[in-house]
Amino acid sequence: MATNPHTSPVAHPETEIELHGLWRVVVLNDPVNLMSYVVMVFRKVFGFDDETARKHMMEVHEQGRSVVWTGLREKAEAYMFTLHQWHLNAIIEPDEASHGS
Amino acid sequence: MKRIEVRLSLEVVAPLLDVVKEVSDALQGKLAAPLDIGEVDADMREFWRDELVAAQNGDIAKLLALFDKEFFSNGVIVFDADNAEPVMRACSAVRLRMREENLKGIEDETLETGNVEIDQLTEQVRRYFMCYLFLATLQELIIQHLDTLGDEEDGEGI
Repeated sequence: MATNPHTSPVAHPETEIELHGLWRVVVLNDPVNLMSYVVMVFRKVFGFDDETARKHMMEVHEQGRSVVWTGLREKAEAYMFTLHQWHLNAIIEPDEASHGS
Repeated sequence: MKRIEVRLSLEVVAPLLDVVKEVSDALQGKLAAPLDIGEVDADMREFWRDELVAAQNGDIAKLLALFDKEFFSNGVIVFDADNAEPVMRACSAVRLRMREENLKGIEDETLETGNVEIDQLTEQVRRYFMCYLFLATLQELIIQHLDTLGDEEDGEGI
């Protein structure tokens, strides 16, 4: 089969997601960091408005964890690193639906 | 540069600085809390850890630099756009380290709610706990003024 000679090798995000799946950034509870500090970090790192940041903080506080971002692994790792710099307890985990489990 | 000046009680805060320094020294080369980065290869893990430790060291240096000659002459510390975030992170690092090493006799739930019976603590643990509270107060102060740091000069005393 002949290929179209004019086709340029552009990136296809949907193909990338199919290949690698989506990853979640999850923040876990700790007994040390202040609620106001966690809200401030969420606003600063993810650009959340105050209401969204507080919602995630309360999830962390009451349920022990909150998924704060979902996307490609490389960016999820970058967010995890930034959260570790702020001394929040963050992990990444595969998004089950996108990994087709 | 816009700044916030905070006047602290020298009598109350100066003894706590020995604790801050002691815990900061213990943190050199170590992370404040165990690192869990999941399925990352060993080289990447080491690189990641080294970067975090270097950032943590820089933040702690900014925290310690708050307590300079000016502080010991008039009790004033100064926050500005350059040191506010590093100081907040350093406070968090030192508090996490205290919880791991110096306050481990206090239940996490008690630590989280702050309902600690101070009279029940030994003198040594009380020193760490007072320092733990002091660093939280610094964080709260900065968070309250964070938006204004970029706007106008401010002053406050505690």
